Amino acid sequence: MKKIKIITMIVLIILVTMVSFFGVYTQVQNRMENQVRDYALDMDLGGARYIRLSVNTESTDVIKDANGNEVETDEEMTDEQLAQNGYTKESVPNNSAESLTVENYEKAKEIISKRLEGQVVGEYEISLDNETGDILVQIPENEYTDNFVSNINTVGKFEMIDSETKEVLMDNGDIRSVNLMYGASSSTSTSTTVYLNIEFNKTGSEKLENISNTYVEATEDTNTTENTNTTDNTTNTETENVTDNTSTDENTTANTTSGETNSTEEETTAKEITLRIDDTDIMTTSFDEPIGNGRLQLSIGSATTDADTLQDNLTQASAMATVLDSGNLPIQYDIATNEYIYSDITSTHIMYVAIAVGIILLIGLIIYIIRYRVNGLLSAIAFIGLISLYLLVIRYTNVSVSIQGIVGIIVTILLNYIFINKILSKIKKSEDSKKLETVKEAIKESYKEFFIKLVPICISIIAFCFISWTTISSFGMVMFWGVALIALYNYLITATMLKVKAEK
Amino acid sequence: MKQFIKSKQLKIILIILVIIAGIVMIAVKGFNFDLKYQDTQRVELYLQTEFNISDIKEITDDVFGSQKVMIQKVEVFEDSVSITTTSISDEQKSNLITKINEKYGTELTAEDTQVENIAHTRGRDIIKPYIIPFIVAVVATLVYLGIRYYKLNLVKVVAKSIGILLLTQILLFCIMAITRIPIGRLTIPMVLLVYLVTLYAMTNRFENNLNKKEIEEEKEKAKKK
Repeated sequence: MKKIKIITMIVLIILVTMVSFFGVYTQVQNRMENQVRDYALDMDLGGARYIRLSVNTESTDVIKDANGNEVETDEEMTDEQLAQNGYTKESVPNNSAESLTVENYEKAKEIISKRLEGQVVGEYEISLDNETGDILVQIPENEYTDNFVSNINTVGKFEMIDSETKEVLMDNGDIRSVNLMYGASSSTSTSTTVYLNIEFNKTGSEKLENISNTYVEATEDTNTTENTNTTDNTTNTETENVTDNTSTDENTTANTTSGETNSTEEETTAKEITLRIDDTDIMTTSFDEPIGNGRLQLSIGSATTDADTLQDNLTQASAMATVLDSGNLPIQYDIATNEYIYSDITSTHIMYVAIAVGIILLIGLIIYIIRYRVNGLLSAIAFIGLISLYLLVIRYTNVSVSIQGIVGIIVTILLNYIFINKILSKIKKSEDSKKLETVKEAIKESYKEFFIKLVPICISIIAFCFISWTTISSFGMVMFWGVALIALYNYLITATMLKVKAEK
Repeated sequence: MKQFIKSKQLKIILIILVIIAGIVMIAVKGFNFDLKYQDTQRVELYLQTEFNISDIKEITDDVFGSQKVMIQKVEVFEDSVSITTTSISDEQKSNLITKINEKYGTELTAEDTQVENIAHTRGRDIIKPYIIPFIVAVVATLVYLGIRYYKLNLVKVVAKSIGILLLTQILLFCIMAITRIPIGRLTIPMVLLVYLVTLYAMTNRFENNLNKKEIEEEKEKAKKK
């Protein structure tokens, strides 16, 4: 019975070891594919998206009137038309010579860093060439990378302008923070709307209050024979000050009231404002009531129940929030290079490290066997099982493995070695090392002594687990699972094997 | 006892010497940064075929000699190579291209191959993301140590812990400066390793001291009875 128990455990360990080190292969379309999940690697090991941002050197044609004021026109004007209107065309560099300073390069670098942090990029590297202003960014390659790249060089210029006069009423300087909100579009609806919540600073709040008083919607009644009643959609009773991007431009919503024979039509004659981001009109609207709380909430996309659409809206709003929150780039940048580059640390390098660790461990396990005989042999077998299971746990818990993570694995192996050695040496030192009670007592004491000393390390690794920076959280997570396995696995397997061996 | 004091004194003298030598080295030569964090130059070559890093390494060893070189595969098809080194002269560039053309049958020209300048990553940018996590971890650990070993004098335990943790990290950086171990991707793992080892050794010491104190207290109580 004693032998069967031990053999069963050894067979289980061999099975786990085979799965962990060699994998489970099944046939997929005429080829054998390993069904065991691969390791998730971080930027240092798995490669990175390499983005070179270079200072834009292009110029834009600007049309100016006789007084030197900029004229905004959508149509392409010929030289004759320009001359007829008394306009002149000037080629203005997108980045003025005065703006190309080291201070602005540094500011741009800081803003890009903020954007990456705002979009919770777990790890990035950024460097600046002070002479050319070129910024080199390296971020991990995953499903979100393209989204990050698309926002990285957005200038992020926010403007609230008068729709008619084009006078700038508010800009980035008035913004305190921008964040993302979402909620049910109405109390009865199951659809969700995503909002961009812009909080203005003191000056901005005052400006917004004045603007919302000035650009308030005015209505006048006119007799009509139609059975319709138009209202402005900017009024939203559920969410304070919410303006809807999808319908405010129309400014009217059909609202049929049945049973009326005569009705009136309310024509809106509002002064309108236009919200612009990077010179692109986002929406044109007016206010139905003054805004005194210094907050403006803009709905992004339409209310939806579809998870994919909602995710798209969230991604879009999150990107806009991050760009606006981080401030506008003082310099216009172009993406000169955008490519995925593998790490210079190849699988061969990792293999060398694994072989070196394996050889050292093997020597350590041989020492166990020489010093503690059968107990040493059983512990050595259990040790191999622990490493195999540990590597599987790391893969299936989606822990991103970094160089720090590899160090975490090595530290865990070292800690387990110390722990097992403690148990074995206590058993050996006891008067009757073959007695079950002695073995139990040795295991109990070892657990108490070892884990009480490990508490500070556990506190630190738990703290590291909650950090968003991938390399440090990788270390924390790897160590967390390592320590958890040392406690559980050794209790269930190693200790049981030693106890079974000690049984009469 | 005398021998113990002597060995302790020797250790202190050794630590002081290492720190002084480290500070002098940092002041005179600074840290030795890894190629990845230095001002470098890079060329990217389209080889039109999959290749082995070791083959490229042979060529770069020949062209760049003792210069540190970083070789990376580019994009999913792995048919382009990125070669980064401290500096690439025109002669080295044309030499490299000639050798690549010979090896892979490509028709690359020096004129069409651009050398890209890569600015260094600043030390503070490398360290920045780790500062808060370390402060959080250390503070949480110190709180625990203070509570667990209050019998050994709370202020003493906390001060000693901070001192030892700081000292070991300073020693690590001094040794790195003296031995010219590059500051790079292995630096933070080394810092973490030293931190954990120090923490374990320190707790072990405190635990032993606490046990001794508790035994002494019990003995005293027994005597009084």
